[in-house]
Amino acid sequence: MPDVSVASDKIEYLFKCLEKYNGSTGFLVLFFVMLIFVAVYADDRVKRIFVPLSVVMVLTVYNPLFPLLLTKITKIDSEYYRFFWITPVVVLVPYVFTKLILAIIDGKIKNKAPIIVLALLVIVMSSKSVTESGMRIAENKYKIPNELIEISKIIHADSDKEYPKAFLEFEYNMQMRQYDAKMLLTIDREDYLYAVSNEYTTEMIDSDEFPQYRLLAGLIRYQNVEPEKIVEGLKLTNTEYVVLTTGSTMIPALKEEGLTEVKKTKGHTILKLDSEEIESIELIDYSNVYKEGL
Amino acid sequence: MTDVIIGILAVPLNLIIYYLFGALILKANKRPVNEGLLLIVGFFTYHILFFVVLFPFMIKYRPFSWFVKTFLPILIVILLVSLIINFSHIKALINKGILFVKREKLISVIVFTVILLQVIIVTGTYNFTLDAAYYVSNVTTTLQTDMINVYDPFTGSWLDHYEVRYLFATYSINDAFMCKILTIPALIQTKLTMSAVVIIMVNVLYIMIAKCLYKDDLRGVAIMVSLMFIVNILFYTIFTSSLFLFTRTYEGKTIIGNLSVLTIFYIFMLLINDEEINLPWLSMFIISLGSVTVSSSGNMLIPATLSLLFVPYMIIKKTLKPLIKYLCCLLPGVVMVAVYILYIEGYFVLYTYPR
Repeated sequence: MPDVSVASDKIEYLFKCLEKYNGSTGFLVLFFVMLIFVAVYADDRVKRIFVPLSVVMVLTVYNPLFPLLLTKITKIDSEYYRFFWITPVVVLVPYVFTKLILAIIDGKIKNKAPIIVLALLVIVMSSKSVTESGMRIAENKYKIPNELIEISKIIHADSDKEYPKAFLEFEYNMQMRQYDAKMLLTIDREDYLYAVSNEYTTEMIDSDEFPQYRLLAGLIRYQNVEPEKIVEGLKLTNTEYVVLTTGSTMIPALKEEGLTEVKKTKGHTILKLDSEEIESIELIDYSNVYKEGL
Repeated sequence: MTDVIIGILAVPLNLIIYYLFGALILKANKRPVNEGLLLIVGFFTYHILFFVVLFPFMIKYRPFSWFVKTFLPILIVILLVSLIINFSHIKALINKGILFVKREKLISVIVFTVILLQVIIVTGTYNFTLDAAYYVSNVTTTLQTDMINVYDPFTGSWLDHYEVRYLFATYSINDAFMCKILTIPALIQTKLTMSAVVIIMVNVLYIMIAKCLYKDDLRGVAIMVSLMFIVNILFYTIFTSSLFLFTRTYEGKTIIGNLSVLTIFYIFMLLINDEEINLPWLSMFIISLGSVTVSSSGNMLIPATLSLLFVPYMIIKKTLKPLIKYLCCLLPGVVMVAVYILYIEGYFVLYTYPR
């Protein structure tokens, strides 16, 4: 979970986790309200199913001291929220609503208004998160952008290498190898995640040990990096292709440094660095290892 | 288009494989069984076997295609044996199913529609998630390089040692296995076939839970299963298991959060009320062991689930009889946590090349 940690938030860690986990939905609150309903009105069979588990969960997982104790054994900052998955929200909430609906159908409840208001409240509280989720109809059977497929084809058609290496912007970088494992990528996930929210220092930009930093600083964060240093970074990382959004201000600068435009797609420009310093990358040969038996 | 058709046909194929594994391990031919539980336990049994056969190939740096040639005949033999042993049981199940659908047309249509709607939502939408950069790319990387876990899925560069966080969770390598034998692309296998399979299995579990709560009132079952879908759709923040179910269905941790945890909860529901269930502790042990081969998220989550349910269970029942069985079920997760801590602390490294 980002922006929370046991070390800095201490006793408040749990509450911050719960706030993020629940968002604007209110389902955890609803769960505990319905738990009270079950504890009061349900038969013993149903009580035995939901009440003991919930009591133990309140004493442990939902106890603010518990993450502090657990963190002494292992680091749990980023994954503590997964313990909330054990709470049977998706069982208890529908169970109680079903009970109420059946009672209405069978004419056992005369005043339906409070139940309808409660149901509407749940939907209104939660609908914001669904509409903001970013889900949309897939463009093709692979469920990745058509343009990404086009870029992959253009690079392979242009390159004389079996495994060309490319620098891509964030979203395409994360998707390219799901479709095309013959495309090697300059930037790994952790470096990109760092770049999303951090500035690079001069020391990092000048580092020859981590040349990817200057690429991310110059091409993604638009920090002040000399174009020749970026080209040097491309050579040091064996990167032959750079794919940037067509409006990127770095494209003219890179062209001035000798990169050529291979092709434009709807929203991206594919640039190529022709250099003898860029080596072909091959798979490791394991054939001599195979001679040994299992 | 052919690969989409194969991908769709692979959905029932996968379900049949898991059912046959479950029928074999829970002895469906000899005892009264819960058919849904056979499917789920079969899923985890399959993944345990997959891991056991795969692991030596992986740590001895053998090509993935060698593993495929070894595992496929084993799989076929097991499926044939199970089919022969359980033939009359399966025949009776199909007849029972047809009779049920004929008798309860409306209920069947409602439940079928709710499941189909979820399958369409999950398989037909685009959703950008970071985790796919590892899990789906690991499938394409395995297929492209013909090696198992020795190349970084994010970039394609060679790794000099195995990343233990992913080493024991071989779910994505199974995707590669299915891609290889069915000749379909990784994105079809992960985001169409297995996503649909997971949605169906989770909904089978929902039906089992609703049946347990509403007994013979099928109206209650149909309404509750529909509402479970609605709650999942609305309980939508980036951390909930509901969101994982609808946007990250291809991931092992989705299976842990939505299938493993709730199946253990379902078994608890039956045991706490002394209801009939075939081999509950064996089922839970298989789910526990299978979960660690599906995702490392199971390492802590499954022991926690078992403890939160079965410590109060033993107190309520005033018995220590299940203690040993409970501890056995904890073991896979606890061992994996210990292995992971040892790795993080630098006590061992598994290299990807002989040294």
